[in-house]
Amino acid sequence: MADLVAYVIRKILLAIPVIILATFIVFLMLYLTPGDPVIAIAPPHASVDEIQKLRVKYGFDQPFIVQYGKFLWRLMHGDLGTSVGRATLNLNVGDLIVQRLPRTLELMAIGLAISYSLGIPLGIFSARRQNSWGDRSVMVFTLVAYAMPSFWLGILLMLLFAVYLGWLPAEGTVGGYGSIALPAITLGVGNAALTTRMMRSSMLEVTRQDYITQLRSRGLPEREIIYKHAVKNAILPVITVIGLDIGWFVGGAVVVETVFAWPGLGMLITTSISNHDFPVVQGCILILALFVVFGNLMADILYAYVDPRVRLG
Amino acid sequence: MMHPRKSLNDKLKTWQMAGGVKQMIADILERGGRNKMVIIGFSIIIVMVALAVLAPVLPLADPTPRQLDPADQTLSPSSHHWFGTDELGRDVFSRVIWGARVSLTVATMAILVSLIIGVVLGLTAGYFGGVVDYIIAGTIDLFWTFPAFLLALAFAAALGPSLSNVILAISISYWAGFARLMRGQALTVRERLFVEASRALGAKNGRIMFTHILPNCIAPLIVWASVGVADAITIESSLSFLGVGTQPPTPSWGYMLYRGIPYLEEAPWIATFPGMILLFTILGFNLFGDGLRDVLDPRMKGLRR
Repeated sequence: MADLVAYVIRKILLAIPVIILATFIVFLMLYLTPGDPVIAIAPPHASVDEIQKLRVKYGFDQPFIVQYGKFLWRLMHGDLGTSVGRATLNLNVGDLIVQRLPRTLELMAIGLAISYSLGIPLGIFSARRQNSWGDRSVMVFTLVAYAMPSFWLGILLMLLFAVYLGWLPAEGTVGGYGSIALPAITLGVGNAALTTRMMRSSMLEVTRQDYITQLRSRGLPEREIIYKHAVKNAILPVITVIGLDIGWFVGGAVVVETVFAWPGLGMLITTSISNHDFPVVQGCILILALFVVFGNLMADILYAYVDPRVRLG
Repeated sequence: MMHPRKSLNDKLKTWQMAGGVKQMIADILERGGRNKMVIIGFSIIIVMVALAVLAPVLPLADPTPRQLDPADQTLSPSSHHWFGTDELGRDVFSRVIWGARVSLTVATMAILVSLIIGVVLGLTAGYFGGVVDYIIAGTIDLFWTFPAFLLALAFAAALGPSLSNVILAISISYWAGFARLMRGQALTVRERLFVEASRALGAKNGRIMFTHILPNCIAPLIVWASVGVADAITIESSLSFLGVGTQPPTPSWGYMLYRGIPYLEEAPWIATFPGMILLFTILGFNLFGDGLRDVLDPRMKGLRR
C-alpha cells in the first residue's frame, strides 16, 4: 500500500507543471490577440478612462511576469474575470461556467458509457473470431468511425433520426431524455472505435498466454475461459486509456455541443469566440484543461490500484 | 532451415538499412506494395492530391463568384452541377475540390512544421541525454498530456482566423508526438555499433544525428506523418466548423458543413457532399499510415495512440 501512496504522490507532483502550463497558455492567449491585450478583456464601447482602470487593475502596465503572477493570484482566489459579451456583460465567468458544466459532464458521462458498452463487447467478439467476416466488418467499422469527424457524424445522425425518421429531437435545448441521445451517441461512437481496437488487440494478446492454454488443456468450457479469465486481464489496458479518452471527449464535446446546440461548456466557448467574449473563452479552456489533467490522474491511480506492477515502474 | 545465402542476404539487408536511405525507402515501398490497406490508402491520397493540385486547370465553376444569381440557389445535383448548388448559388462540386486544396495544404504544412520541430527537439534530447534531455523531455511530456484540440482551439481563437494561424495552431498542438517518437528512437539507435564506429572515425555530433540516427527513423516517421495529416485535416475542419479556421469565402469543408446544417431538410447535398469527401480523405491517410505500420512493425498491429 505504501508504494501505491508514493505512486499517487509522484503522479500528483507530475500533474502540477501541466496545470501551470494550462494557466500560462490561457494567459498567453491575451498576448496573441492582435492589438492591445486590455482591449480583449474590456467591455465593448468602454471609455478610455475605463480601459485605463482595467489596465491598472489587471496590471497590464507592469512587466509580463508580474501580470502573470497577478493572473495566477486571482485564479487561486477563484476569480476568472467578468464576461464582456453583450448578453452576459459583467457577469462572473466562474458563475457562467458552473451553470454550464453539469450539462457537459452529463453528455460526456453518457458518451463514455456508450463508448465502453459498444467497444468492449465488439472487441471481445472480434478477437474471438479473428480474421472471420465478423471480425473484418468490425474492423471496417472502427476504421470509418475513427476517421469520421464528430461534427460530420452528428450531422448524419441528425439527418437520419431527426429529419427523415423524426424519432429524436435534433437540438439539445428542447430538454427531456431524448435530446441527449444524438449528441451522446455522436460523442460515444468515435471513441468506441478506439476502445474496440484496444480491446481486440489486448484480448488477442491475453488469449495467447500460457495460463489460457493451460485452462484449455484442463478442459474448461471456452465461455468460462474467455469471460472469467481472459477478459479480466485484457480489460486493463483499456482502462488505462480512459485518461486519453477524456482528452478526446473534451475536444469532441466542444464540436458536438455546437452541432446540436447542447447548452454546455463547449457551446459556451463557440458562442463566446464569435461574441469576442475573451474572458469566458479563457475560463472555459482552462476548466476543460484542468478537467483533462484530473481525469488523467484518476486513470493513472485506478490503473495502479488494479495492476500493482505499474506502481513499481 | 533457411538457405545460408538467403540468411546472409537478410543480414546484408539490415546492415545496408543502417546506412542507405535509398535502400530503406525501396524496402518500405516493396513491403508496403503488398498490403491492401496501404494500396487503397495510397490510391485515395493520390486522387485527392491530384484533384487539389489540378483544381485551377480543371473545367470547374468559379468557387467564389462575385456575381451570384438567386435563381441558382439550392439547386439539386444535376449534370450541370454534380453536387448541386449551395444557399448562395455556388457550385458545391467546385467548392469541394477547391476545399481539398485548402485542407491538404493546411494539413501538410502543419504536419511538416510539427515534424521539423519534433525531429530537432526529439533527436537533440535523445542523442545528448542528461540535462538537455531532462528539459526537452519534460516539455514534450507537458504538450503531450495537454489535450491537442483544446490547445489548437485556444491558439486559433487568440491568433484570429487565417490560414497561417491555423497551421501554427495545429503545429503547436501536434509536434510533441513526433518529438516523443524521435527521442525514443534516438535513445535506442545511439547505442548501436555503427554509431560508435562512426564516432570512432571522428564524426561530429551533428553528422551522427542527421546522417546516421535520423535515417533509421524514417519508417516510423512516415507512418506518423501519414496518420498526422489525417488528424490535421480533422482538426482544421473542426476549427473551420467552429468558425475559427479557414474564413469564408475561401472554400473549406468544415465551414461548408456548418453552413449546410440549416438546409439539411431542403438541400441536404450542401452538407453531405463535403462531408463524404472529408471522410474519404481522412480514411485514405489513416489506411495508408495504419497499413504501413502493420507492415513495418507487426508488433504494433492494431494499436494506435
